[in-house]
Amino acid sequence: MALEDYLSDAKRCCRCSYCKWIPLAQVKSWRFAKGCPSIAYKNFHSYSAGGRLAVVLSLSEGRSSYTDGLLDVVYQCQMDGSCDVACKICRYHMEPLEAMRELRFKLVEEGQLLPQHIPVIDNLRKEDNMVMKPKAERGKWSEDLDIKDLTTESAEVVFHGGCQLGFDEELGKVARTAVTLLKNAGVDIGIIRGKEENCCGGKAYDMGYRGEFIKYAENNIEAWTRAGVKTVVTSCSDGYFTFKRLYPDIGSKFEVLHTVEFIDRLIKEGRIKFNKTIPMTVTYHDPCHLGRLGEQYIPWQGEEKKIRGQIVVYEPSKPRNNGAGGIYEPPREVLRSIPGLELVEMERIREYAWCCGAGGGVREAYPDFSYWTARERIEEAKSTGAEALVSACPWCERNFIDAVNGNGDKMKVYDVIELVQQAI
Amino acid sequence: MAISREAYQALEDIVGPENISEEPAILDSYAFQWLAEFRQHGSKFMPRAGAVVLPGSTEEVQAVVKICIRYKLKCKAHSTGWGLYGAPITENAIQLDMRRMDRILKIDEHNMFAVIEPYVIGATLQAEAMKVGLNTHMIGAGASCSPLAAATSFQGAGPDSIFMGSGPENLLAAEWVMPTGEILRTGSLGSGLGWFSGDGLGPSLRGIFKGILGACGGLGVFTKVAVKLYPWPGPTVMPIEGTVPAYTAQLPENIRAHTLAWSTWEGYADAVYKIYNNDIGYIAHRQFIMFGDELQAAVLKILTDTTRTLNDLEELLKKPEIQKLSEEMRRSFQIVLVGMTPRDIEYQEKVLNQILAETGGWKIAAMEEPTMAGWSLLYMIKLCFKNLNYVYAGGFHDAMARAGTPDLVTSGWMEEMREQKRKFGKQGGIVNDGGDAGMGGVGTAGGGGYNAFENFILYDPGDAASVEAARACNVDAGHIAVEAGAGGYNFFFMEKEQVQALLAGRARPAIFQWQQKIKEAFDPNGVGDGSYLCLDE
Amino acid sequence: MGEKKEELIKIVGDNNVLDDPETLDSYSSDYSFVPSRKPWFVVKARNADEVQRIVEWANRTVTPLVPVSSGPPHFRGDTVPSEGGAVIVDLSEMKRIITIDGKNRMTIVEPGVTYSQLQPELAKEGLRLSMPLLPRRNKSVAASLIEREPTLIPKYRWLSADPLRCLEIVWGNGDKMMTGEAGNFASIEAAWKRYFALLNPRGPAQVDYYRLVQAAQGTMGIVTWTALRCEKLPKVQKLFLVPAKRLDELLDFAYRLLRFRFGDEFLFLNSFNLACILGEVADVIKALRDELPRWVLILSLSGRDILPEEKVEFLEKDIADIAQQFGLRLISSVPGASSGRVLEAILNPSKEPYWKLGYKGGCQDIFFLTTLNRTPEFVRTMYSVAEAQGYPASDIGIYIQPVHQGASCHCEFSLPYDRSGQVEVTKMQGLFTEASEQLLKEGAFFSRPYGFWADMAYNKDTQTTMVLKKVKDIFDPNHVMNAGKLCF
Repeated sequence: MALEDYLSDAKRCCRCSYCKWIPLAQVKSWRFAKGCPSIAYKNFHSYSAGGRLAVVLSLSEGRSSYTDGLLDVVYQCQMDGSCDVACKICRYHMEPLEAMRELRFKLVEEGQLLPQHIPVIDNLRKEDNMVMKPKAERGKWSEDLDIKDLTTESAEVVFHGGCQLGFDEELGKVARTAVTLLKNAGVDIGIIRGKEENCCGGKAYDMGYRGEFIKYAENNIEAWTRAGVKTVVTSCSDGYFTFKRLYPDIGSKFEVLHTVEFIDRLIKEGRIKFNKTIPMTVTYHDPCHLGRLGEQYIPWQGEEKKIRGQIVVYEPSKPRNNGAGGIYEPPREVLRSIPGLELVEMERIREYAWCCGAGGGVREAYPDFSYWTARERIEEAKSTGAEALVSACPWCERNFIDAVNGNGDKMKVYDVIELVQQAI
Repeated sequence: MAISREAYQALEDIVGPENISEEPAILDSYAFQWLAEFRQHGSKFMPRAGAVVLPGSTEEVQAVVKICIRYKLKCKAHSTGWGLYGAPITENAIQLDMRRMDRILKIDEHNMFAVIEPYVIGATLQAEAMKVGLNTHMIGAGASCSPLAAATSFQGAGPDSIFMGSGPENLLAAEWVMPTGEILRTGSLGSGLGWFSGDGLGPSLRGIFKGILGACGGLGVFTKVAVKLYPWPGPTVMPIEGTVPAYTAQLPENIRAHTLAWSTWEGYADAVYKIYNNDIGYIAHRQFIMFGDELQAAVLKILTDTTRTLNDLEELLKKPEIQKLSEEMRRSFQIVLVGMTPRDIEYQEKVLNQILAETGGWKIAAMEEPTMAGWSLLYMIKLCFKNLNYVYAGGFHDAMARAGTPDLVTSGWMEEMREQKRKFGKQGGIVNDGGDAGMGGVGTAGGGGYNAFENFILYDPGDAASVEAARACNVDAGHIAVEAGAGGYNFFFMEKEQVQALLAGRARPAIFQWQQKIKEAFDPNGVGDGSYLCLDE
Repeated sequence: MGEKKEELIKIVGDNNVLDDPETLDSYSSDYSFVPSRKPWFVVKARNADEVQRIVEWANRTVTPLVPVSSGPPHFRGDTVPSEGGAVIVDLSEMKRIITIDGKNRMTIVEPGVTYSQLQPELAKEGLRLSMPLLPRRNKSVAASLIEREPTLIPKYRWLSADPLRCLEIVWGNGDKMMTGEAGNFASIEAAWKRYFALLNPRGPAQVDYYRLVQAAQGTMGIVTWTALRCEKLPKVQKLFLVPAKRLDELLDFAYRLLRFRFGDEFLFLNSFNLACILGEVADVIKALRDELPRWVLILSLSGRDILPEEKVEFLEKDIADIAQQFGLRLISSVPGASSGRVLEAILNPSKEPYWKLGYKGGCQDIFFLTTLNRTPEFVRTMYSVAEAQGYPASDIGIYIQPVHQGASCHCEFSLPYDRSGQVEVTKMQGLFTEASEQLLKEGAFFSRPYGFWADMAYNKDTQTTMVLKKVKDIFDPNHVMNAGKLCF
């Protein structure tokens, strides 16, 4: 698809602003009714999905041109897809998130690069990671781990650590725990050890760098194929989305599981058992890329046609990615199964969860906005009375930890895996 | 053409650089509007503003208006900004986007009113009201819209008007930054006595800015208002079930949704009169007809089944049970009964049953099925799926509007408007929905007895031929509406000369000369953008 | 002056221009403290065309006009000329009930139509209007509603001026206009033909003109007909009394019922007011006052159309349950009053003489808008000012009427006095002034500022005053309409 393919979406946007809110049916309070961090932070209509569709149309009609202001409009957004879910409540043929992605691709292709992203992408090209670290530092988390190295061995399952877990010393334990748990449960699992593991390319994709994404996708697919892998497991929701929803377009056929899905399965099969009580009230944050964006990939190629005069349909029928098929229950099931743990819900959950603030290149380019977005979520978590905010994505967790530390909050931040480990 | 640097700087000094923009792409996101294509010869863009300003307080709004006067700029505010009437109809105006003023300042639980700013939306006010056993009137445009704008600036009725009145009926005191930059606080507020009354001292000055239609942003800016609230004997948070987008709500026994049907318009009208005369019903509206009389049953099936898409429409339309349901729903409306007590709901249900027996009506069985009833209930109470009227291709317009007494439906007009639109539908330029998508009509005023219908013209704004067909249908319908004493806001689609001709052709054109006098008195500097209609002498 | 009279005679005919001293005297003062002033003439208009021609004439000759619709006695000073050379436009002969539309529950009446004239006619069609509290028999329905007097059934007051709907107005400049949905048509008949029953008062177009003549005391123009939304005449009606020693004991209960919209007639009276309604003369009133409970919430339950008995039955049970929760009782008689007698009284215009005059022959009312929760404070203030001025608190009548579906309430203190003695008049004037000022200071909203309240109230809201003057200049540019009232 190209940006031009979304011009009819742009014209069909009714400017209703559903994209700014969580689905209206789910609004439970004034305080936590907003869905889109971008418009909530910047306020100008252009910082919403509807506004960006208007910008697409304006650009295409030559009414406006590339400026720093326009780049800001395009990039000050986590690409979290909240708008997409809310829009599709009533609209069966709109793809606002896809259109926004295409807009980024077009900007990058035409050399309209956001200056803040350039060093990040340069580092990716050089060091194969999105966290501005030297390649050599990747994989410290697994240095002394007794696990198959799939650069030389083969296994049914590959665990992908990813850039955030791979370099973040505080969060590296999540990856260690996850792999260990799976291994101990008898799973034939390995990792692409050390600096040989690549970035998934998903973040670059969200930032508009489609070429980089394809490069990393091809590399990873090749490495896994070489190792005889059938299933890819990750604790990183960004990676999960990338492998599950984006890689199939590059030819990937692997089964993709998030560790919470795998752990949930193992608990239900009795292969993981808890023997400790964790007397704690927690609330769960749905990572965007695991939740509303974590739906099954369904290939589609077709075209639009009209019936009854002007009703838009597709030949063949087009899958609706509207958040319905996201991964919502497995992490909750895992948490509920931990003895003593009480799970309380925030107002914005599942397909209409508020973003952590880290995605779409925002953490890298707009740290204040990213921090503000995380703070909003922490406030929401606090309003539940929970002691801890639990998630299933290191990018979310890093953003939350930084926001908690920055504000001197007492809220604890955990990955689901950490609580599982504590209860064993 | 940009506004002068001095003017821009002066505006920036008021709101700060982060709350003003003249970035072309940003201005175009404001110029982009629903229905702009009818006015702007197919373009989705209204005249581009000179700058967009986000004020954060009444004082900032006042200061902005005064700067506009000083630099001879037009100024227009919108709340949620949905529809071409939110945008200035002249180039280079200052567009005020009120979204920073979004607070619910007060909910007076006892006296049942809320004090709100412009960017509070129906959904958020309702959520907060329900926490204390109250509810808010939700305008027909749905939960994403501003109750303040509905009460002060546009039309303001909705499916619940039978019980909760319309926006302007619910308006208590208001804070109005007039086009002179002065602030009028109406009613009790002006005397510093709170928000409970919008009338007085002596005459009720809100009459100046809100008639059957408001000033549509053309006569100053409303910065705070009090609106009446209504009882909600349901849960403090609506329990939502189901999978996106087919959410449903299962509510206690005292809250029920039915779809009622008749085989004749006479039966329908009699029942509406009886509902009017018996004070039953919390929400009553001919809602789902908006999908079109031939398509409604199939579309409802799709909307309540997450596995389905519009691709299933044709297959569903062939099913006899679907055809039967659509036919059954031809003369129907939805009603929500809410009992304040168990005896109340029991009584209302009995009365409703008797009304149905006396008028030859029935409750449609398929709509009583739990999934459908739960979806209907949620739809009607929250108006959270309102924008499904865009579901086909993204375009709808309601030019074929008409209002009147409950027996209007027996006048033959329902069939006329159906045939009139059906003609366009068959030509393919607009959705061929059967012809009757006449949403509305059970009680458009508090207490009922007054109905308004809007026959939706459904089209594809992404398709120039469809826009043109819709425009032609709209023009055709517009003439009929004006002749019938309606005419709504069609003037937004016209050039000034056409507007003048339209106004002059009304049975009583003098009302627009009165508006001219009001405009001269209240907006002597011409800050308004022309949305307040004036007939030149 | 002779020339003027001739011109007026040309408009309304010889018999309808009155300038005999006795007639002029009767229009020169009322029961208020507004200074008396004799008009030049009294003209009795018979139709809207005559009204229009009178107003046009007044503009040509810059003659002040004072419209009057109700018969005497008047109480508010609004019908007493404030300027010399005024012409009273008496509309009380415009008594046509233009239509009663049973199906749509609408009636259209001229300004001279009274409740006592209209209600029986409506009843024939199965309708009635929600009443103000015992209006005078000659009280104009139109004038009462245009002045936003409260009516007894708050739940039917969707709008603050309900049941007032469309109007025909002759503005101060002589232009005639039909308002609301009627204003889109050349005639009422044309509107009917298009299925408009004149129920929607809004507009036409972007102005609610009918709001601009409300509570205007005739300063903007003259209304020549009003369309009114009626209720179905109840088939079953039961009245209950909820007694209490203190007003605040009743409020939470009342709020609950208002929220549920349970109950039709719904008002609070103190013992003295109820005594005045039920009693004829001072001694009887006194005895009743002492016998009756200090406060009574009067609540009627009506069944109108389908299953009327069942409706009243369920409401009675529900309300009794609610009353119990608040430690109150829903009863049909209290010492000194039975529900039947009270119902009979409040569903009808006042007996003669007017019920407020039976006790001492004169009465001053202080009334304003507030919210129900604040009424006990105002009652205390009124009592304390009365006490300070040596006026017996037991003689103060109190009427509290929720309006606009309970969003606000009308609070009214009635102060009977003997008008024949100058000392008592002077004392009353002092009490009236002091109490009004004190109540204003404490937050009473004098939304209908009659007489001396006008200065007091407008001084507190200069912006409204300024805007109102603009409106006056638009609709009555020569200021011929009832000069000297409000802020004009």
